[in-house]
Amino acid sequence: MTKPLLAIRSLRAAYGKIEALKGVDLDISAGEIVALIGANGAGKSTLMMTIFGRPRARAGRIEFAGQDITGVPTHEIARLRIAQSPEGRRIFPRMSVAENLQMGADATDSSEADRASGLERVFALFPRLKERMTQRGGTLSGGEQQMLAIGRALMSRPRLLMLDEPSLGLAPLIARQIFDAIRTLNRQDGLTVLIVEQNANHALKLAHRGYVMVNGLITLSGTGSELLQRPEIRAAYLEGGRRE
Amino acid sequence: MDGRVSAPPAVQTSRAPGAAFILKKALISAFVALVLFSLMIGVRTEAGPQGQLVYWTRFDDLAIMVAAVFGGSILVELLRQWWGPVDTIRVVPPSVQTALAVARRGIAPVLLVFTFLVPVLFYDERYILDLAILVLTYVMLGWGLNVVVGLAGLLDLGYVAFYAVGAYSYALLATNFGLSFWVCLPLAGILAAFWGVLLGFPVLRLRGDYLAIVTLAFGEIIRLVIINWQTLTGGPNGVTGIPRPTLFGIPLTPADDGLAALLGIEFSPTHRIVFLFYIILALALLTNWVTIRLRRLPLGRAWEALREDEVACRALGINTTTTKLTAFATGALFGGLAGAFFATRQGFISPESFTFHESALVLAIVVLGGMGSQLGVALAALAMIGGFELFRGLDQYRMLVFGMAMVLLMIWRPRGLIGHRAPTVFLKHSQAISSDLVKEGHG
Repeated sequence: MTKPLLAIRSLRAAYGKIEALKGVDLDISAGEIVALIGANGAGKSTLMMTIFGRPRARAGRIEFAGQDITGVPTHEIARLRIAQSPEGRRIFPRMSVAENLQMGADATDSSEADRASGLERVFALFPRLKERMTQRGGTLSGGEQQMLAIGRALMSRPRLLMLDEPSLGLAPLIARQIFDAIRTLNRQDGLTVLIVEQNANHALKLAHRGYVMVNGLITLSGTGSELLQRPEIRAAYLEGGRRE
Repeated sequence: MDGRVSAPPAVQTSRAPGAAFILKKALISAFVALVLFSLMIGVRTEAGPQGQLVYWTRFDDLAIMVAAVFGGSILVELLRQWWGPVDTIRVVPPSVQTALAVARRGIAPVLLVFTFLVPVLFYDERYILDLAILVLTYVMLGWGLNVVVGLAGLLDLGYVAFYAVGAYSYALLATNFGLSFWVCLPLAGILAAFWGVLLGFPVLRLRGDYLAIVTLAFGEIIRLVIINWQTLTGGPNGVTGIPRPTLFGIPLTPADDGLAALLGIEFSPTHRIVFLFYIILALALLTNWVTIRLRRLPLGRAWEALREDEVACRALGINTTTTKLTAFATGALFGGLAGAFFATRQGFISPESFTFHESALVLAIVVLGGMGSQLGVALAALAMIGGFELFRGLDQYRMLVFGMAMVLLMIWRPRGLIGHRAPTVFLKHSQAISSDLVKEGHG
């Protein structure tokens, strides 16, 4: 078996005294889409942020491409080409769409040609962004902002893309567009994706494998379709337990 | 002003909130004024001849003040409705709009050419030349602080500290070691930048109000150190006999080796003033040029992104520590250069020139100008410093007029004189692409 691209071993993290991650193990192989699902406050976003160094891991180990990145500063982790579309999108509202995208490429010292091809790739994926090039980020719609956040992350030509709730607050149609784009990226470019989602149905259909998180622990894992069939998953995350 | 061309009355009445709303607002303002002024104005206390407390009431004055606030509040509210919010689409003929756009684009070059010609136009008017130098000093300080506050979004209330560091660096190096202005100028800038980094370290994790308080304290600390370190700085007595700048080693004095004698023209003290004018103009333009250049580089973009969202910056691989420190250092550098110029112009400096008032004034210039806008800052400096001089005749009411002007400006242009931010990233063939997009949009 080949070594996973990202390997997390008994990872613990806390906010003050409140322990948010209580020993998480998770693997992502190159070329995979992995979904992380769970209820509010389960620690999904914390896991993503801990991979990025904030909050710091209290214990455990995070390895990316064989390199230990536990305790490495956030900006250096980003320069290893782990890109993130954070929760709430966090685009730069007063800067133009073009500048937002440029920001994604600035830190990873890419050449002029790389930037141009990066822009091409983002625009091929989200033609809407091309139309909005000169507009200020803050004036975009929610869906467009999500596209911009993903596009900005893609500008650094990431080896691992992490998406925190990309469908949050979006109309179902727009959410589907976003998920389609992620699938395209994975199929065409072999991009590795970790996706954190509340929308378990969508996420598990998209993902090759999934993890379920409850109270800071991974309780279940398996392929996307396997998890979708599990009755407890259906009850807890898909049908809201109504049919029980 | 484009705002003058107001919407027709029909539109106004439809969006105007009722008289009840205005009345309520005015009553609240009047009440606040009553609470504030009842002790400040309503009761007057003085020490009597035997040292006892003498007091008397001035309820009529109090009533006048409260009434003024009440009336003023109604007036402001009505004016506001007449003017409308800044972003309202107005019924302005397209021809007027294009003319305004042209004027907006033309204002910077016209101002620049005019500034270059000031010493020619006003050669005989010493007062105007002095005022122009003062305005340019504040333009430079404004542009310097703009890097920190306007671009990087770090609220710095102690900017005067770097101005002081620059001024004292030059003054002390020149008087103690006999170094010339042109050697000391970069040294003063570097020293100020060093202090900028030093201030930056402890405040790396702070932002907003907390940052403002620490920078405010920093400004005061520098001033207090200057006052108390008498052996080095001369304390409250200041530093005297600071040498004047020379033109490549040629002094601008009536002496035999002076510039006038060398050129064979009659000496005039105005030569030195004009020389100083062009020095500060060059320094200010340098500040502007560097800022504009930096804004187009990744570093400048990182500053702006930092202002928008620090967490997102970090996630994109930007080292926020160095980004913040370079912003502080760059801002401080320009403050230091302006300080050195100030010292050489005055020939004498003392801690009194570096009070919090200066920091507040420069910050006001940046905010009024529209954070991040170079032209806006220049216009604001002109309005603040020039306007202040203009109303000198009003004597004690000067501050009142000044305050009123600020309040009105903030009501109608809450983002500052020029709130619009110019983008720094362009597509190479923007024209071709925009026409493509029109097709895309229809298809």
